[in-house]
Amino acid sequence: MTDLFTLAISAILINNIILSKFFGMCPFLGVSRKTSSAIGMGAAVLFVIVGASCITYGLHYLVLVPLGIEYMQLITFILVIASFVQLTEIIIKKFSPVLYKSLGIYLPLITTNCAVLFVAKDNITQGFNISEMLTYSFSVPLGFMLVLYIFSAIRERLDSSKVPASWVGNPIALVVAGLMAIAFTGFAGLV
Amino acid sequence: MPYVYAFLFISVMGALYALLYYCNYKTPVPKGCEDLKTECDGCKVLSCGNNPAQNKIEGDI
Repeated sequence: MTDLFTLAISAILINNIILSKFFGMCPFLGVSRKTSSAIGMGAAVLFVIVGASCITYGLHYLVLVPLGIEYMQLITFILVIASFVQLTEIIIKKFSPVLYKSLGIYLPLITTNCAVLFVAKDNITQGFNISEMLTYSFSVPLGFMLVLYIFSAIRERLDSSKVPASWVGNPIALVVAGLMAIAFTGFAGLV
Repeated sequence: MPYVYAFLFISVMGALYALLYYCNYKTPVPKGCEDLKTECDGCKVLSCGNNPAQNKIEGDI
């Protein structure tokens, strides 16, 4: 149990997927103007990462390994993620228009989010068992959501602040991201 | 033999993706959600369909 807690804290704060591994930078910069968008994007990423990780983990150990075709891992995972996003969109469209209004808009963005593929591959590379895989697959997108939310809150404040003309927009956002990355290194000795 | 398995497996996966893509394409968008727009300001990936630059490129052509 302690190991799982350590794994979760490590994935959320210490080895945060955005600030220490630089995955998922596209939605991090693109969908961080408003806190409401950031939460919607974070929730959609959480759902897709957990679902795609469970499917890819099962496919790897139940199909690819027994058939001796582990070298097909990357292309299989890409197809699984793309298919899962399509399936998710169909289900949301059919059964929950309200959820579609808030999340559906972000689903196509997730297909291009390399964080999803990273988690699916890392579950296999690290040799996780099922409980570790589930913990890791929940924690990484939670860390993603946390950082995206903090970053969007800072950007909302920045919009009403006086910023030099040459720093407006992405330049000041990247400086903020760099400062956040430095701040998060403070968690390094936590566990 | 593993090469045959690999070919068959990837064909099934590709067909599954194509089927789901087609089903998603044919599934009607719920009422009131017809013209939802992303609030993405755009990163440097210009090939992404959500990048605002896509509209400009289409407009230019």
